Amino acid sequence: MIELKNVNKNYEVNKNNIVNALQNINISIQEGELFVLKGASGSGKSTVLSLIAALSKPTSGEVIVDAKQISKLPDNFASEYRRDNIGFIFQKYNLIPTLSVSENILLPLVPLNLPAQEAQQKLQRVMKMFDISHKAEAVVKNLSGGEQQRVAIARANVNDPKIIIADEPTANLDERLSLSFIEILKELKALKKTIVIATHDPLFFNLDCVDREIELHKGNILS
Amino acid sequence: MILTPEVLAIFILNTIFAFFATIAFVLSVKIFLHWNIKSVSQSQYKLEKQSYLSATIIKYIFAIKVPLFLFFIFTLDKISKVITGAMCGAGVVDATPYGTYLLILKVINLYVFAYWLMLNSVDMKNEEQPYTKLKFGIYIIAFFLLMGELVLEGVMFNSIDIDKMVSCCGTIYSSTASSYISNIFSIDTGMLLFLFYGTYVLIMLFALLKNKYLFSIANLFFIIISIIAIIVFFGTYIYQLPTHHCPFCFLQKDYYYVGYLIYIFLFLGTFYGVIVAFIDAKKEQMQRDTKISLVFNTLLVLLLSAYPLIYYIKNGVWL
Amino acid sequence: MRSKINFYLIEYALNALLREKYKSFFIMSIFTLLTFLLTSVFFITNSIKYELQSTVDTLPQIIVQKIKAGRHYDIDESVVDDVLDIAGVDDAVARVWGYYYFENAGVNFSIVGIDAYEKQYKKSFENIIEDFDFATLEQTPSMVVGRGVKEIMKQSYYDEYFNFIKPDGSLKRVDVAGVFDGQTQLESNDMIVMPKETLKEIFGMDEMQATDIVVKVKNPQEVSTVAAKIKLIYPDTRIITTQDLQISYQNIFDYKSGIFLALFVIAIFTFFIIIYDKASGLSSEEKREIGILKAIGWKIDDILKEKFYEAFILSLFAYLLGVILALLYVYLFQAPILRDIFVGYSQLKTSFELPFIFDLHTLFLVFFLSVPVYVAAIIIPSWKIATLEADEVIR
Ligand SMILES: Nc1ncnc2c1ncn2[C@@H]1O[C@H](COP(=O)(O)OP(=O)(O)OP(=O)(O)O)[C@@H](O)[C@H]1O
Ligand SMILES: [Mg+2]
Repeated sequence: MIELKNVNKNYEVNKNNIVNALQNINISIQEGELFVLKGASGSGKSTVLSLIAALSKPTSGEVIVDAKQISKLPDNFASEYRRDNIGFIFQKYNLIPTLSVSENILLPLVPLNLPAQEAQQKLQRVMKMFDISHKAEAVVKNLSGGEQQRVAIARANVNDPKIIIADEPTANLDERLSLSFIEILKELKALKKTIVIATHDPLFFNLDCVDREIELHKGNILS
Repeated sequence: MILTPEVLAIFILNTIFAFFATIAFVLSVKIFLHWNIKSVSQSQYKLEKQSYLSATIIKYIFAIKVPLFLFFIFTLDKISKVITGAMCGAGVVDATPYGTYLLILKVINLYVFAYWLMLNSVDMKNEEQPYTKLKFGIYIIAFFLLMGELVLEGVMFNSIDIDKMVSCCGTIYSSTASSYISNIFSIDTGMLLFLFYGTYVLIMLFALLKNKYLFSIANLFFIIISIIAIIVFFGTYIYQLPTHHCPFCFLQKDYYYVGYLIYIFLFLGTFYGVIVAFIDAKKEQMQRDTKISLVFNTLLVLLLSAYPLIYYIKNGVWL
Repeated sequence: MRSKINFYLIEYALNALLREKYKSFFIMSIFTLLTFLLTSVFFITNSIKYELQSTVDTLPQIIVQKIKAGRHYDIDESVVDDVLDIAGVDDAVARVWGYYYFENAGVNFSIVGIDAYEKQYKKSFENIIEDFDFATLEQTPSMVVGRGVKEIMKQSYYDEYFNFIKPDGSLKRVDVAGVFDGQTQLESNDMIVMPKETLKEIFGMDEMQATDIVVKVKNPQEVSTVAAKIKLIYPDTRIITTQDLQISYQNIFDYKSGIFLALFVIAIFTFFIIIYDKASGLSSEEKREIGILKAIGWKIDDILKEKFYEAFILSLFAYLLGVILALLYVYLFQAPILRDIFVGYSQLKTSFELPFIFDLHTLFLVFFLSVPVYVAAIIIPSWKIATLEADEVIR
């Protein structure tokens, strides 16, 4: 369902310095797969994720999700696509610290202007799912790292997206929390979500829930 | 030269408009020339971003221009108290050779900008953005119209001479005046009313037949015929004076500002009516626009008809 | 043209404003100051204009003075009859009045002569005639004085009567028949009213002459026509109409507000620059926030909309605050300092209260001078924010 075809991505730092972040990448990810992107720092993992999420556009090549060319979408439609299909889990949680847990989780829904009842339903569902209902009104900056992680995951799921994208999700977590994160991943996988994780945390290597791993090196795929 | 705080406020806002409109103009020319939705190049990406700036500026100008237009009329009314002879905005408009053109240009610009916004909203709803070139092309024209308006406005306020005696609306809008406006009084009132109500019925009919081109043309005609009917016939009932024809006086407090309501109905009704032929929108949107047009045109007809009817019921005679 | 208001977005915008407390507070203070100043000046000018208009309305429409050798001279009472013959004239009255310098106290009294049977050109005189029997006042020369005048005379031991010095040096004794309370502070402090005959004797005026003539015209629009006609019959007169007065007051006044308007243009321009600057300065915190929002599916339009909601909340609040402060400042505290800048008028009339004139138009005017300027200043910064590269947040 996710396909990268002959994708190149250059970053133009300035006229004389063009970084070749990805070179002729071909990746195909099936629906319901848990897919891991490995590789050293700077190898291009985040770049792949941002292409799948339509946060940036390839210099050449195609990104196709659900038979749809997302690499050429105008910005508004890219955002819409992201909102409806992608749940993001960032390395640094990327929550808004001064807002409450429920406000943070509701953020993706704000532009939709849903009826209050519908929004509440979605909120309650994910808060229960990721066990943070008891902190609903707490301000995020007062939460522990693990709780913040769960808020971030709840936010990624509030729209019930088909694809979950996680960039270094365990980089800030200790071992115990990392393991519980993997448990959550298994739950999400049971819900038939396609999951793409970029990481260099060895914890993810050779897990039985992981369907496929690909290693990147300087913008190329190591087989 | 007349420089009241109101005029100064209009000048300040016009300066801001000119500044931002020029930015949007430069960007629009670039977009118009180089837009290519298929391209994934860096420059296309940049153009896409710049198109948001242009659109935002145009939205801003329109959003301020609408209330400012009402404020402009209000200001004319206020200035009329200072100018000898003028009793309402009509006298001020007539005080200089530019007033009438300015007013007409202002109204045209309102329609053009509103059209632009509709086009933009349809364009942004489509993944292909099929109207992007067209809409920025239209803005390039709209820019010159806008600049023309701003300059004309400056010239007009500049050439108003407070000490010069001007005509009041009673002489400008009278059947005995020799101005071009007086030509409309040669139309037979019965004929005029037939045209007015007839056009309205045609608009309804074309809506039923779902013929958007005829619907649009009928609306265009309705703008003109309504204004003439208001001056020649309905106005006299609003004032309850057979000789008072002014299309400005009823904007004043003595007539409960009913003029603003009349012109807003007229604008909304005809704008949504004319627009359907010019935009290839989705079916639901076209139906919605048609509905809005019908509602406001109907409100206008009801409001205008109410005046003579109430007069007749009260007094048992026509004026 | 979406119809529903997005309250989630408003709430978010409100939170965003509170998050950037200092920045919001700074912008709001400047904005409030601007609307406050604008509104105050417009309120003051409106009130003064109103006061001016009502003062002018009480003045005679036309005053006819005789001019001789470029100086104001006594006029023949017979002119009244000629003036009354002019079409459109409602009434004409010969006035006798002048100033009397009382050396002992170092003050100027203004003395007005009236006749009981004449039509009075001032309301307060009618009251005096009702209260005092002028027919008897004429027999034993007597007068009615303002309460303040009475006090001043008393200090020089004049209680029952007063000795006026005539131009030829001889004395004229006039009894004090009563005291009146003037309509204004000014009136009771320096006014003396007495029969015309007595006053003419004190001023050494001719029997058949008067100080000037005031004319009342039926239709206010015909004032200038009547004035021209009088001038035609008596070329040696100076005709002062209320319109002339109004225009000369108005000129002093417009000149002052003209200076203010020039200052406003500068103030508004500065305001624009400051807002532009503030709105452009982005903390890394804000940048990250926008990145997050875009990554979780906000469109450029959504972010722009959020920014404009912020602007509307802030500017509406600051606008209302500025207007309310101005209302208090001008009408409750009578605009200290600012009011003195319009001294031109204060000198014409010593003490007056700013009357409360509520003009909706002024509020619109201030609105158009502030809110659109503010919104304009944030267009480009908001657009820059909304189109920031979002993929930075995932790195
Ligand atoms: N906006 C940018 N401008 C210039 N160069 C960039 C930009 N974004 C990424 N790069 C470069 O592209 C290459 C790939 O970056 P990317 O962020 O995808 O790596 P990564 O595998 O995610 O690394 P890490 O593990 O450190 O997150 C790097 O060399 C990086 O410096
Ligand atoms: Mg990375």
